[in-house]
Amino acid sequence: MKISVLQHDPAAHLPMRHGDPTPVSRNLNPLMHPFSRARERTRALNAAKMDRMFAKPFVAALEGHIDAVEVLCRQPGSLTSLASGSWDGGIILHNLSTRKQITSIPQAHKGKVSGLCFSPDEGKRLLSCGVDRNIKLWAVSDDNTTPEVPLSVFPGKAAFNSIDHHRTESLFATASNTVQIWDETKSASISNLTFPTSTETITSVRFNMSESSVLASIGTDRTFTLYDIRTGKAERRVVMQMRSNALSWSPTFPTTVLLASEDHNLYTFDIRHLDSPTQVYKAHVAAVMSCDWSPTGLEFVSGGWDRTVRIWQEGKGRQPEVYHTKRMQRVTSSVFSADARFVMSSSDDGNVRIWKAKASDKLGVVTARERAAMEYREKLKDRWRVDSEIDRVARTRHLPKSVHQTSKLKTAMLEARRVKEERRRKHTRVGESKPKPEKKKLVIAEQS
Amino acid sequence: MDALIAKADAIQPLQKKRKTYHTSAPSSSKTKSPSKNADPTLSTIAKRTSIPKSLQDSRPLPEDVPTYKHIANKKLRTHLSRQSEQGARAKALVEDAEMLLMDEAGGLEVEDEMDRTWRVGQTDVVQNSGQEAGKGRREFKLDGGPYRSRYTRNGRHLAIVGRMGHVSTFDWQSGTVHAELQLEETCRDITFLQDHSFFAATRLEFLPYHWLLASVGNPGYLKYQDTSTGQLIAEHRTKLGACNAMTQNLHNAVIHLGHQNGCITLWTPNLPHPAVQLLAHMGPVVSLSVDPSEGGRYMASAGRDGTVKVWDCRNWKGAVREWTVRGGGDPEVEWSQRGYLAVASSGNVNIYHPPSIHTPFHIRTPPPLYMTHPIPHRPLTSVRFAPFQDVLTVGHAAGLSSILVPGSGEPNFDSREADPYENKKARSEREVKALLDKIQPDLITLDPELIGTLAPVSKLTTEVTPVIDAKGKTTPRTEVPYARLPRIDRLREREKRRMRGKGKSMKRYLRKQRKNVIDPAAVNRRSEKAGKTREEKKRAAAIAAAGGQEEKKKPSALDRFKRSK
Repeated sequence: MKISVLQHDPAAHLPMRHGDPTPVSRNLNPLMHPFSRARERTRALNAAKMDRMFAKPFVAALEGHIDAVEVLCRQPGSLTSLASGSWDGGIILHNLSTRKQITSIPQAHKGKVSGLCFSPDEGKRLLSCGVDRNIKLWAVSDDNTTPEVPLSVFPGKAAFNSIDHHRTESLFATASNTVQIWDETKSASISNLTFPTSTETITSVRFNMSESSVLASIGTDRTFTLYDIRTGKAERRVVMQMRSNALSWSPTFPTTVLLASEDHNLYTFDIRHLDSPTQVYKAHVAAVMSCDWSPTGLEFVSGGWDRTVRIWQEGKGRQPEVYHTKRMQRVTSSVFSADARFVMSSSDDGNVRIWKAKASDKLGVVTARERAAMEYREKLKDRWRVDSEIDRVARTRHLPKSVHQTSKLKTAMLEARRVKEERRRKHTRVGESKPKPEKKKLVIAEQS
Repeated sequence: MDALIAKADAIQPLQKKRKTYHTSAPSSSKTKSPSKNADPTLSTIAKRTSIPKSLQDSRPLPEDVPTYKHIANKKLRTHLSRQSEQGARAKALVEDAEMLLMDEAGGLEVEDEMDRTWRVGQTDVVQNSGQEAGKGRREFKLDGGPYRSRYTRNGRHLAIVGRMGHVSTFDWQSGTVHAELQLEETCRDITFLQDHSFFAATRLEFLPYHWLLASVGNPGYLKYQDTSTGQLIAEHRTKLGACNAMTQNLHNAVIHLGHQNGCITLWTPNLPHPAVQLLAHMGPVVSLSVDPSEGGRYMASAGRDGTVKVWDCRNWKGAVREWTVRGGGDPEVEWSQRGYLAVASSGNVNIYHPPSIHTPFHIRTPPPLYMTHPIPHRPLTSVRFAPFQDVLTVGHAAGLSSILVPGSGEPNFDSREADPYENKKARSEREVKALLDKIQPDLITLDPELIGTLAPVSKLTTEVTPVIDAKGKTTPRTEVPYARLPRIDRLREREKRRMRGKGKSMKRYLRKQRKNVIDPAAVNRRSEKAGKTREEKKRAAAIAAAGGQEEKKKPSALDRFKRSK
């Protein structure tokens, strides 16, 4: 008879020396882990609740402007510097980490500063344009000195609406009644780009980041136009239902462009197929005034006339993260920080606000265990998103009453419109009219 | 211009057709030329964004991974197939991890055909076991009536209680006593709560994952108390009098009660009545136990009538196996972690081993005996297997005696669930974690896998009767969910569902009266219908008799008024 009795070896289960970690033994047999699913669900619910509990996105408000802030621009190569231009004609260079002003130029322009951009040489020079028909080049440095006079002034013929610098060369483009290309060393514009039949005012212009000779503009004629500075021509133009207020090129997908539209939506376009947008982003309840991609290209921020800042996942057209405060007015400009952890917004109340890009993000040092726990919680939430209770906790956001009421009204109106359309179709001959997909409704004409 | 654009690769001429990615390249002569249809942007990005080769899983996917080819939505399809792929890989990895289990289960193995395992006595086992394992054989001689005992979940600590009120908890391996009390009242049972520092004494069970203490007393009220908040969660009146047998199913947290009239009832805190009630024995039920090794599938019960029955908890149609124990007294039953069943009756503890315990057998004989051990101190009041040890503790009139049962204990424990070697810090950490993971009591159901499964299809559907085509094939109409219906249809639906006026007292009264009344209109309708079908049958039979050909009717002048089909 063979007799063997179970005997654990304490040496295998106890720490070898004092202070050693206790060895962990695992048995993955599911019978050893009763209620594993129910426990995991509890954990997921807790994760969702913790996420909402720690959601404190507002970091700081930077003051300094006397009037509404119109434009924001982050300094290339720096995580902490941010330039802002205001309706009072002043420009301030903020330090985000110390929350102090590096440089302040109180009377940079007469009237509002409508555009700001840095030249790519380590961000030492700042270009600003205004409605006073001037472009000014400023030297900015960290030593807290205020430049009295600009390095150079480029006079134009019409009020400027936007400015953007070429990625590598010393060229920049401005938007007024045409798109003009300037050289930093020459006082007059070197070329004018315009679509042959256009008579519109250009509101914004942006260079593509990887295909650096391509630039895009949007205009008051509800248009989006693509130019190439090598040919000096407008290559393609799209006319949409409503005008766009801002545009931004994706930093990771060179063919993707994001438009913030007056019709409360944002659209991403693949410039190879301009006949319809690749995705519609719907949540704002008023015109979207600004948009900016995160440097990762996975998310972007938008600010709207509805006094909210929203952070979207690329490709997910609903339920963005929404930020608001009692005192924030219409959001005029919003940018992502270079490390994708923060979002800056400027608004009509004259403040620049810093927000976390992820509302429940922990600032400061995160240990490896903490990081692992966070990642686990993130995964749990993702996995149990189909559970209605967990989804409800994760999804619910408090909105200001005005936004909430407006969104309710908007839903009702859209619903009524849908019903009406449905009835109209019901009473027309079969096959005569087809419902048009939302994506196809946007573009009216594509011209080249 | 076009050349420039082609160089830039970003914009392509408008008139050109869209790219098709699935065209095959028939020309084999130009081998190295880059495909015209390749997306240059994608190819430049793909290099940087793919997972490095060292991190890619090169092993082939396990078979029968579900595919989602029928799903049209590309994003969803990719997401689902990636998920199922990951799941399949994880499953394969779990199977691999079984090799890492360190300890092996004990056991008795016969070498000779005529040898029998039950001939082995405790002296032989102790002689042949290791020094540490041999310590499991002990005798505690104690005054104060028959004793009952309970182990903690990690098998390290033991709580004992005497009938006269002597209570003690101690680490049975090192012999450290945690508490010793003389309660000076009758004590019927003892249980540990979340760890060895908390215990409670009467007839009760602690549900460790729900932090619920279930207790039942002589009045027959089953009470669920939340030990983390102190609230009384539920109180059920069993209506079956005093209850002497109680146990829990570890895998679904259902409480099993055995009553004086031979009934066994299964309870959850969410139902005011038992989830299952069955008449199991001719006399009072005295002991119950649920098999932890099969996921709580089998239950053993013992009655004062001297029978032991093994039940299948999924199918309550009679016992799977039953037998009568010898001698008088109340038999006690208990399953071990690996499915060994101990039955204590009169002066013996008999141990049976799986799978013969729950293989159906029509003759009322006990399954083949695995081990037996005589104890001279009657009555034997409790049998408890120690988790993660080959030890069985028997409580009796003169104290307790623990014996070695090779093979009964699970050899590999999981430190995250229950660790016999955990230190103070690990214990406190586990307590905090367990509190965070506390499952809400309303999630207790008979089927523990209910959570995380798909909800059943809603009964409030707008599905119309299925379409039956010419071949007699039935195809269900495509169902439009209520939310997607046009508003007018929605209103119509809502009107249909509205039960307005049905609950009025007069209507209710009339409805009740209507139950046994033969309504002449309904009778008429029914007879009409029956007549119609009869006629149809007759006609069909006539056709069949005529050789499958329908009798041709003579054309009539009145045919013009016939409704065309």
